[in-house]
Amino acid sequence: MNREVLQKINEIKEADILVGVPSYNNARTIGHVVRAVEAGFAKYFPDRKTILVNSDGGSTDGTMEVVHNSGIDDFRSILFSHTTSSFLKIATPYHGIPGKGSAFRTIFQIADALKVKACAVVDSDLRSITPEWIELLIKPVVVDNFDYVAPLYQRHKYDGTITNSIIYPLTRALYGRRVRQPIGGDFGFSADLARFYLTQNVWETDVARYGIDIWMTTSAIANNFKVCQAFLGAKIHDPKDPGSDLSAMLYQVVGSTFDLMSTYADAWKDMTGSRPVPTFGFHYDVGLEPVSVNLERMIERFCLGVRELGSVWKDVLSRGLFEFFTDLTASSQEDFAIPDGAWAETVYSFAVAAHKKLLNREHLLRSLTPLYIGRVASFVKETQESSAVEVEDKIEALCRVFEEKKDSLRRNWD
Amino acid sequence: MNILDRIIVEPFERLYEKLLFFLPNLLTSLLLVMIGIFLGIFVKWAFLRLLRAVNLDGLSQKFGIQEAFARSGIKESLSVLTSRVMKWLTIITFIIVAMQNLTIPTVEHLIDKMFLYLPNIFIGGLILILGYVLSNFLGRAALIAAVNAGIKSAGLIGRAAKYTVFLLSCTMALEQLGIGKDTIIIAFSIVFGGIVFAFAIAFGLGGRDFARDYLEKRLKGDEKKDEINHL
Repeated sequence: MNREVLQKINEIKEADILVGVPSYNNARTIGHVVRAVEAGFAKYFPDRKTILVNSDGGSTDGTMEVVHNSGIDDFRSILFSHTTSSFLKIATPYHGIPGKGSAFRTIFQIADALKVKACAVVDSDLRSITPEWIELLIKPVVVDNFDYVAPLYQRHKYDGTITNSIIYPLTRALYGRRVRQPIGGDFGFSADLARFYLTQNVWETDVARYGIDIWMTTSAIANNFKVCQAFLGAKIHDPKDPGSDLSAMLYQVVGSTFDLMSTYADAWKDMTGSRPVPTFGFHYDVGLEPVSVNLERMIERFCLGVRELGSVWKDVLSRGLFEFFTDLTASSQEDFAIPDGAWAETVYSFAVAAHKKLLNREHLLRSLTPLYIGRVASFVKETQESSAVEVEDKIEALCRVFEEKKDSLRRNWD
Repeated sequence: MNILDRIIVEPFERLYEKLLFFLPNLLTSLLLVMIGIFLGIFVKWAFLRLLRAVNLDGLSQKFGIQEAFARSGIKESLSVLTSRVMKWLTIITFIIVAMQNLTIPTVEHLIDKMFLYLPNIFIGGLILILGYVLSNFLGRAALIAAVNAGIKSAGLIGRAAKYTVFLLSCTMALEQLGIGKDTIIIAFSIVFGGIVFAFAIAFGLGGRDFARDYLEKRLKGDEKKDEINHL
């Protein structure tokens, strides 16, 4: 932490609630996030000392200036009655590996230094955040003594495909807790958990990048912290940079999940089945904008991968599974389908290969991309006419297959 | 009599003296060769056990070295091959020492030259092995990157990366051995430059229409885009 921040911490001394906002070139959207947080503090925690911390990755578009200048000028326009409470802000650049994880680390350090009782982190590109999010992420910690509040969103059926096809089914099957959005990005957590995170030696790994979300969730579950989830409504955020590399994203998120499997092998090996976690918030349906998908191109990418990467996968996938994928390349688009069983087996095979170091880790994880695209194409094809509830049922069915096939993972792990 | 002595007896006496001087050396050399053979067999046994204990075969499997051996018709494992090399190195070392012990000037001169050249052979071999491992690694990385970028000729790109790196390592190894130093560098430059030039011409002339179509699609956005948010 730089001298300016330390000075500010010395001035503030202590706070009750902290909300962290990691950012990188989010000047367009962060103002709305800051106002939502301020309104949330005023509406739900008027008698508490609250603080917003913006941890920035060196933005060049004036993100930090927007944070400093944003705020609610007239509370009467949004609240009938309110108590004037202190709303403190710290905006600071973080140090370390560029990425969301490093930004979170700075937030945890400030939370620890200020001895806060509850924290939350929210993304800076959110367009759908409301003051209620702050209540939903913080109150379970303050009132019900939960340590970790995961988000629960209403999302488009093709939104969050890494979550739906890999991370949620895998995390649920492994650790036996049904946290629906383990890499949601917006979380609430207790001071104890923030301190626990700080003591972990992971800040030079992929956790410092995209891997932070799954690491926070898995660490909380595997270390028996009290976990719940809160329904936040729709998650609408700025469209991601189209140039952002899918294989890099997959490599960091899936790689972190696989690493955690090795770290917490004792926690998942004996776990069978899964159970729900307490859920807060009022459920409602949200109209979501349609998502455009180029199915033909996705299937082409899958076929290209199967044609070219056979030599890479030969020690990873079973012969039967590889033959199945090879046969699939010859099928028509109408018949194209990767069933839940084959997909679960694929994910487990890659997890075992990563654990046994059968191949260079980066090559292994990046080579999963075409198979993942194939699975997404299969899912899109299967759910083209399905409603949100039907899609959720299909994801539930996939999770059960992951749970059923967990024995094969246990057998092949050691 | 005197002439007979000088013509026949003296040379035989000199030969006898030389034999007296040479025979112990010969016997010592033979003994050294035999010791070398026995020691070589022991070294092979010891190395085989040691390398198996450190799981060299597992590692060579992992890095694709075993696969490369299999492709070139070598069926033995890396630990067997290495221990065999160590055995012959031991035997050859003893043979060289034995030959030096004979104190024959021509042989001594040849051995001296060979000893001076040995480091070059060792470094050349090392460059070649490292080049092979690196070419496999980079070839695979290029292949995966090209597949993930959706490039249809991904296989070709992967192979091109692999062979370019290996060719470069071969050039470096030959340069280290001092074989046709300048010729090899010039040949490599011509071949490599030629490949790049051929690609440039091929893309410039043959791929003109493809490039135009591609740019049009990119700029006009004809292709239906994916809006999936994966995370």
